[in-house]
Amino acid sequence: MNRAARPALVALALVSVLSAGCGSTASSGPGPAGEAPPGGTPFLATSLVTAAGTWAVAVMGGSVATHDNFWQLFVRPAGSTGWKLVTPPGVADNGGLVAAATGRSLITGIRPSQYLTYTPLALTRDGGHVWSPAGPLDAALANTPDALAAAPGTGHLLALLTTGAVKVAAPGYTRWSTLATRGMLAATPAGRRCGLTRLTAAAFSPLGMPLLAGTCSHRGTAGVFALTRGTWRLAGPALPASLAGRPIRVLSLTVAGNRETALLAAGTGRDTVLLGAWSARGGRWALSPSLPLGGAQVVSVSAGPSGAIGIVLNGRAGIALGGPGSSWHWLPFLPAGTQALALGPQAQVDALAAAGTTFTDWAWAPGSAAWAKTQTLHVPVQYGSSG
Amino acid sequence: MNSGVNVNDPTVIAAFKSALVHQGIIALLIFAVLGFAWLTLRAWLPAAAQTGEQAEADGPAAVPAEPAWRQLLRIGFGLLWVFDGILQAQPKMAIGLPSQVIEPIAASSPSWVQHLVNWAGTTWSYHPMQAGASAVWIQVGIGIWLLAAPRGAWSRLAGLVSVCWGLVVWVFGESFGGVFAPGLTWLFGAPGAVLIYCVAGALIALPERTWHSPRLGRAILAGTGAFLVGMAVLQAWPGRGFWQGISHGQPGTLAGMTGAMAQTQQPGLLSAWIRAFTTFDEAHGFAVNLVAVAALALIGTAFLTGQRRLARPAVIAFTVLCLADWVLIEDFGFFGGLGTDPNSMIPFALLAISGYLALTPATVPAAAAASQPVTSAGWRERARPASLRHAAATASFSTVASAGALGLIILGAAPMAAAQANPVADPILAEAINGSSAPLDFPAPAFSLTDQHGRTVTLASLRGKVVLLTFLDDTCSVDCPLIAQEFRQAGQLLGDTQHVELVAINYNPLYTRVSYIQAFDRQEGLAAVRNWVYLTGARGQLEQVWRRYGAAPAEILPAGAMIGHGDYAFVIDQAGHLRRELGFDTGPGTEATKSSFAAELTDAARQLLGHP
Repeated sequence: MNRAARPALVALALVSVLSAGCGSTASSGPGPAGEAPPGGTPFLATSLVTAAGTWAVAVMGGSVATHDNFWQLFVRPAGSTGWKLVTPPGVADNGGLVAAATGRSLITGIRPSQYLTYTPLALTRDGGHVWSPAGPLDAALANTPDALAAAPGTGHLLALLTTGAVKVAAPGYTRWSTLATRGMLAATPAGRRCGLTRLTAAAFSPLGMPLLAGTCSHRGTAGVFALTRGTWRLAGPALPASLAGRPIRVLSLTVAGNRETALLAAGTGRDTVLLGAWSARGGRWALSPSLPLGGAQVVSVSAGPSGAIGIVLNGRAGIALGGPGSSWHWLPFLPAGTQALALGPQAQVDALAAAGTTFTDWAWAPGSAAWAKTQTLHVPVQYGSSG
Repeated sequence: MNSGVNVNDPTVIAAFKSALVHQGIIALLIFAVLGFAWLTLRAWLPAAAQTGEQAEADGPAAVPAEPAWRQLLRIGFGLLWVFDGILQAQPKMAIGLPSQVIEPIAASSPSWVQHLVNWAGTTWSYHPMQAGASAVWIQVGIGIWLLAAPRGAWSRLAGLVSVCWGLVVWVFGESFGGVFAPGLTWLFGAPGAVLIYCVAGALIALPERTWHSPRLGRAILAGTGAFLVGMAVLQAWPGRGFWQGISHGQPGTLAGMTGAMAQTQQPGLLSAWIRAFTTFDEAHGFAVNLVAVAALALIGTAFLTGQRRLARPAVIAFTVLCLADWVLIEDFGFFGGLGTDPNSMIPFALLAISGYLALTPATVPAAAAASQPVTSAGWRERARPASLRHAAATASFSTVASAGALGLIILGAAPMAAAQANPVADPILAEAINGSSAPLDFPAPAFSLTDQHGRTVTLASLRGKVVLLTFLDDTCSVDCPLIAQEFRQAGQLLGDTQHVELVAINYNPLYTRVSYIQAFDRQEGLAAVRNWVYLTGARGQLEQVWRRYGAAPAEILPAGAMIGHGDYAFVIDQAGHLRRELGFDTGPGTEATKSSFAAELTDAARQLLGHP
C-alpha cells in the first residue's frame, strides 16, 4: 500500500468500526417530567376531612404531555351525600393541587406548570363556593400531597418546596421565610441520627408546632421531626425490633383534631410493609400491625376522621385502617380509575374514580361485597386551554 | 428548535422564494462578472491567453489524464451535491428542516447528540430564510465546483470543501448519521449518506501521485468491505427485530420502517412498491434478513480480498443490491417535500465502483513521466500585478467556473455566518404567526392603575415616551410569560430606558393583588428592569381598561383552566397616540419565536424614536 492510500483505508476502516460498534446505544426519551411525584411518594390525588366536609383532589382530562391534565377539587359538604366540583378558578392547575385545612377554611396551593414558577394560593371559607387569592408562595410547592399545612388557631402556613426548603408565612401569606431546608435539617443532630435524604411531608402539631417528615437512610429510624424551642428533634415513632434493619419512609403525615397520623413504609421492593402510627398531642406513638405489600406500590393516601387512613395500591387494590387500635382491612377490588379513597364515619369508604371528564363516586359499607355507584359528575374540562 | 410556524406558511414560503431569487440573481452576476473579466483580460493580453490556450491544448499530453475512478467520484458526487442543493430549495425546507427532519432524527440519539443538534437546529429556526438559502447555494456551489475542476489545486480544494461541508451536514443534519441511535442498519442508510460524500471528497482531494497505484483501489474496496462485514454482523444481531416480519402483532423493525416510508407523499406507483415490499417482509421477514446478511457478508468479504476477479462480480452485485435497497427500502429518499438527498445507496454504489475502477492503474503518459519537475515561482513573484494579470489571462475555463462556484459558496456561507452571530430571530416568524399590522393614529385610551411598587400610574404620566403596552395574566402559564420575555428582550434591544416604557396591564380579574404582579416580575426577571411597569387594579378598573383597548374580556373558565384571554401589544407614541396594534399570539412559544416578536416590537418603537 502506498502512503497516500493508507489514510483513505484508515478513514474507511474507522467509519466501519464506528458504525458497527456504536449502533446499539440505548437512548432515553424525555417523559412528562415534573408531573410524576418523586419515587416512593404517593400521588397527589387524596382526600381529607374538615369541619366543612370531605375534600377530594383528583386529576382529570387527558394527556400530561399535551397539558390536558387538569386537577380538580371536589367537596362533599358535611351532612351531604353528594360531591360537587369546587376547583379554584383563575389559574391553570396542570401542575397539581395541594390542599390544607384549618378549621372550616381550606387553602389550596396550585402547583406551577409550564412557564409559571411560583405557587398561587386560594382560600375558601364557605366550602369552596367563593375563593379568594392569597399569597403567592414565591416558589414551586413540592409534588407531594402533604406539602402544605395550616396551623390550627394561628392559620400560619407551612410549605414544603420542590427544592427541599420549608417556608412559613403568617395569614395573608405574602411574606415567606425559610424555616428549614433538607440540608440544614440533615445537619442537625436529629437529622444525622436519621440520615435524612428527602423531605416528604409538612404539618403542624395540634399545639401548632411545625413537623416535618422524610426518608431516613439509617435503617429502623422513622424521620418525623418536631421544632421545639428552636431546635429540631427526632419525634418519630420508635419502631419494633423486627423493622430495625429496614429503611423507613414517611409516606404521609397529617394532623386532625388532637391527633398526628403518619403512614410509614418500611423496607424496599417486595419486602416493604406499611405501618400506621398515631400520636396524641405529641405523646407516645401507637403503631398499627405491619402490613406486607408483597411488591404492590402505594398510589395514593387519604386521611379520614379519627386518624383513619385509606390507601390505593396499584392493581386496583385498596386498604383501610380505621385509626389507633384498629387493623388493616382489605377492600373489595376497586372500581376502574379509582384515584383515592374517601373515609367517612362508621367505617364507610368511598372510591373516587376519575377518567376524562367523568368523576364517579363508588360507596362501600362494611360487610358488603361490592362497590355501589352513588354519583357521577360531569366536569367541564377545558381541553387545549393550557397548550 | 421548532420555530412555531407551519411549514406551509405562505408568508415564510414567499420570503424564502424571494430570498432564493435575489441570491440567484447575485449568483448569476458572480458568474457573469467573472466570465466578463476573464474574456476581457484574454482580449487585453492575447499573447498570454494564447500561451494558456496552447498549454491547455497540450495539457492532456503533458500531464496525466484524470483516472476514470476519480472522474466517476467527482462527477457523480458533484451531481449529487447539485441535486441536494436543489432539494434544499423546496418551499417547506426553511421552516420544516429543523422541526421535521433534524429534530426527529436526533430524537432517538443520546442526549448529548440531541443537545448538539438542537443547538444548530435552533440557530436555523431563528433565521430560517438565511439558513435555508445558504444551504442551497453552498451545496450547489460545491457541486458545480466538483464538476468544473477536473485537475489541479482547484479540484483537490473542491474535494476538501466537500469533506468539510459534508461533516457539518452529517453532524448537525443527520445526527452523526444515526450511528449513536438504536436500530442502526445499512439497509436504511447507516452511517449516513453525507459521510460517503465526505469519503468521496477526501479521495478527490488526494494528490495526483496517488492516482495511479492499484493500492488505492484495494484500499477503497477493503474499507468498504470491512464496513459491509460490520454491517452484516449488526444486521444479524439477534434481538433487534430484523429477523421478524411481524413481532407481537406489530410489524418487525424493517417492515415498520418501510411501512412508515410508504406514507411519504410520492407517486402512487412508488408507494405501491414499498407497500408490496412491506407486505412481503412481514410474511418472510427471516428470509429477507437472511438475504441481506448474506449479501452484505459475501460482498464485504469479496471486497476485502482486493482481487479483481472477485471484486468485479461483487461490485455488480453490490450495485444491484444498492439499487434494490434504494427503491424498495429507502424509497429514493427525496420525496415528501422535505427530502434532503437521495439517501445513501447511490453514493455507496459510486464509491464501490470507483474502488473497482481504481484497481486498474491509469496509464501515465510518457511525456509526463519524463518531464522534469517545474520549479514554481515563489508567492512574492506570483503576487505581482503582472503575474496576476498573466495568471488570470491564462486561466482555463474550469478555473473560472471553479472561482464562480467558490463565489456561490461564499454567497451562501456569509449570510449564514451573519445570522449565526445575531441572537435575535427574524421578525418574519412573528409576522407569519399573526400577520402584519396596519398603522394607526388616534389617542390611546387613558388609564389610571397601580404599579408593582404600589404607585399610581396614568397614561398621561408616560407622555413624551414611546409606550409598548400589553396585557398579561399574572398567573398565566403559557403565553404571558413568553410575551413578557418578548418585552424584556425588546427593552434590551432598544437599550433606551429614558424614552421607552414597557407597560403591562393585568389581564386576570381574580388575581389582582400587587403581590402577584410582583411574583410574576420576579419570575420573568423583570423586577430590576427600570422601564418596566406592570399595572393592576380592582377588577372593575381592569375590565374598563380592557374594554377601552378593545381587548377581549378575560373569561373565567372552570375546572382548573387558566383565564381565557387574548394576546395583544400596542405601540403608543410620545404624544399618547396609538400607532400600532401587533398580533402577539406567540404560538407554541419557541426559542425562535420569542426573539422574533421582540424584533418586531423593537422595529415599531425605533420608527417612533426616529432611530434607524
